[in-house]
Amino acid sequence: MKTLADELFAEFREHSVSEFFRRNAAMLGYTGKIRSLTTIVHEGVTNSIDACEEAGIMPKVNVTIKKINDDPEHLKVIIEDNASGIPEKFIPDVFGKMLAGTKLHRHQQSRGQQGLGVSGATMFGQITSGKSTTVTTSTGNGEIVQAEVMIDVDRNVGKILKSQKIKGNWRGTRVEIEAKEVAYMRSRYGPFNYLRMTAIANPHARITFVEPDGTLTIFDNATDKVPERPKPMPLHPWGIMSDDLLILAKHTKARSVAGLLSTELSRVSKQKADEVCKLANVPASKKPFELSWEEAERIVSAFKQVKLMAPPTSGLRPIGPKDLENGMRQILNPDFVYTITRPPKVYRGGLPFIVECGIAYGGNAGKSMEGKNEGGELGGEAGMDLIRFANRAPLVFDQGGCAITAAVRSIDWRRYGVDLENDPLTILVNVSSAYVPYTSAGKQSIADEPEIINETRTAIMEAARELRKFLYRRLKAKERQERAGIFERFLPVIARKAARLAGADEPDIKPLLKKIAGVDHD
Amino acid sequence: MTRESTTKELKHKEKALKDLAELGRMIVEDIRKTQPPKLKIPSRSTSNIIYDKKNRYFVLGPRYGIRSAGSMKQVKKVAQLLCTADFARELIESGKFATLREMYYTAEGWEAGPFHDQSESDAIIEDLEATFGLKRESLGLTPEEDGAAVYGQIVFREGDVTIDATKAGRGGYTIPPTIDDVEFVKCRAKRIIAVETMGMYHRLIQEDAWKKFDALIVGLKGQAARATRRFLKRANEELGLPVYLNCDGDPFGYHIGMVIISGSANLAYINHELAVPDAKYIGVTASDIVNYKLPTDKLRELDIARLKQLLKDPRYNTEFWQYEIKKMLEIGRKAEQQAFAKYGLAYVVNEYLPAKLKEVEGQQFLGKV
Repeated sequence: MKTLADELFAEFREHSVSEFFRRNAAMLGYTGKIRSLTTIVHEGVTNSIDACEEAGIMPKVNVTIKKINDDPEHLKVIIEDNASGIPEKFIPDVFGKMLAGTKLHRHQQSRGQQGLGVSGATMFGQITSGKSTTVTTSTGNGEIVQAEVMIDVDRNVGKILKSQKIKGNWRGTRVEIEAKEVAYMRSRYGPFNYLRMTAIANPHARITFVEPDGTLTIFDNATDKVPERPKPMPLHPWGIMSDDLLILAKHTKARSVAGLLSTELSRVSKQKADEVCKLANVPASKKPFELSWEEAERIVSAFKQVKLMAPPTSGLRPIGPKDLENGMRQILNPDFVYTITRPPKVYRGGLPFIVECGIAYGGNAGKSMEGKNEGGELGGEAGMDLIRFANRAPLVFDQGGCAITAAVRSIDWRRYGVDLENDPLTILVNVSSAYVPYTSAGKQSIADEPEIINETRTAIMEAARELRKFLYRRLKAKERQERAGIFERFLPVIARKAARLAGADEPDIKPLLKKIAGVDHD
Repeated sequence: MTRESTTKELKHKEKALKDLAELGRMIVEDIRKTQPPKLKIPSRSTSNIIYDKKNRYFVLGPRYGIRSAGSMKQVKKVAQLLCTADFARELIESGKFATLREMYYTAEGWEAGPFHDQSESDAIIEDLEATFGLKRESLGLTPEEDGAAVYGQIVFREGDVTIDATKAGRGGYTIPPTIDDVEFVKCRAKRIIAVETMGMYHRLIQEDAWKKFDALIVGLKGQAARATRRFLKRANEELGLPVYLNCDGDPFGYHIGMVIISGSANLAYINHELAVPDAKYIGVTASDIVNYKLPTDKLRELDIARLKQLLKDPRYNTEFWQYEIKKMLEIGRKAEQQAFAKYGLAYVVNEYLPAKLKEVEGQQFLGKV
């Protein structure tokens, strides 16, 4: 006889990852019509730029959004890059399988991480429009593959509906995703602003964009240098915790604790490892798998007493102050820019991160996308515009819950002579890390790790100090000008009236004007 | 007895023109030497107002403020001052007068103007007055209000018009703001009796006090206007007439008299043109209240406070005033001039004034012994 439990469990089956995300599209950033569209663009462009950099290629990304059947909520997004292309057999996995990718299990910085991105976009297109995603790709071998990809939601696998090969010399990938329940708008949250932000933080990338009304915008590259490829990197002792150490101990090939420390952690030499073991009162020759929790704890605290080099940043690719400045100048055309790349720091489990900050003032800085003028010029209200990036990828949504926002808000801006409500100010923050602690799979805000907030705050304040100097100098220059204006206005009156009183000829005022106000009329 | 008027009227304008020309010359010279012109302007702040014991009126102390055309904050003020000076020159040369308010509006069209409000333009005029020690009237600028009235045997000339102050109607001759341009043609009076209220003024005219005492009767209308004070000063200096002040027997009456005698603190920069230090107070005193058994009012708190202030005021630092002020505080009462009406309307002329005048001049009036 069937029990109640048997009946209940008759319906039980394992949900595939794809099934789970189909039901939870919001987690991936597919909420709202504008945001969904921006997320599709984001996933495609992120993949494209990552792929170019991996291959050491200057990214050229073309994005086109078209209306289908003249329906404003039925759009096709086409993203084309010049990266190395995708070998045919990987196409189903790249576009059709969740949590598959080349990035997840490495401590290496990249824009995408979990392998959810472009397959999520494929699925969003599939469930709203019922259409497959068209992938056209070539590795430059003279053969171009064109495939229609869909996701088998039940089994979490990609299916190629049909594919064809044509001859041709071209390299790169072109993805076409058709979706409904999306809408195009040039708002702060729309694809235009997203691409503009991407261009600022990726000055080596050339991005072109065709809007549904046919308007073409080119965000030209501001530099010709491709950033170096990041390298995977081991954990650094500064932020490591006991259980991290025990996990490493379980998997290491090293045969002693000292060996474990020097091979599995970064910046730990053989001598440092011995020194730490001695300080922690742990035999250096002890077998790693015999390491106890208490010993691990002692090692972690012993690391705080020895001098170590900062975590390696070879895996991190900050934009760099020069390129960041170029990017901000190119797009914002401001009167003042100051950019800073902070030295690497670690948070939580020894994971290094680098905070970069740029402040731009004047020009198009501080003008958000809202209230755009006709002709595509940026307009809208003045006031501070915060643009956030994680590994150069724009964070457009969930601004309120982000560690970067918290850092900006914690600063007393009046001390820097800045009025956040009215000044034309753009603050850019980019957090680079092999593992950015996002608050959700939608990857739109950074969790409030104290180290990250502090470091961001420090970076912004350093830039703000330079801004204050600029504002002060500008004020002084303005005062000098006003001063000259005042003397130019009143000294001649004094000369004329005095001459009339005295019944004398009017004296030449120019030499005195020059002396007092530095005004030269000749 | 007649007296010829002096030529002072012309002199004060000549001096003004000369001073203004000198100011212009100095500034032109500074500009030619590439030096920022600087003006030394006597400070009119309270701390620079000093009681001059010798002359018995308030004067400005030695402190100066420098107004430099080389200072961003001051150059506008210097330009405004020069515009004002040039405006004054035009007024003097054309023989016209303008009120302070008219000048304020004229400044709307100036290159260095306009002023934010009239107090700003008034302050510039005071700067000029203090700098040259010249009255605004000498600069062709006049206050709004007329002075008080005068009745008695004096003949004035204003331009082509000659006025006999006994033939100008029952109200007498109204002292104009431009009193400095008025010529004293003839004067048969021997003294001036100035009274606080117009009520008393008309009483004295009706009772022929001007004839009986050979006096010019002046109605002050309360606190005396600049023009009135200037008239008293000129009559005192140019005609040699002693000035007697007849005011109410209360602290405010005392002070109306005292401002004519010793000048006010806020006009310290020009008191040498206004104060009549030899004028005598013959108004109602505390002693009179007692001696004449006058109808009185109780001193209010304000009166008491004011009397206590006067006790400390350097202008009241004489035996007479100290005694009378203390006495009034002691009896706690005050009385008006018109309180003498208790003894009949003519009493003040027939009894009170002769007695008072005997005290100050030592001679008998109205045949009384």
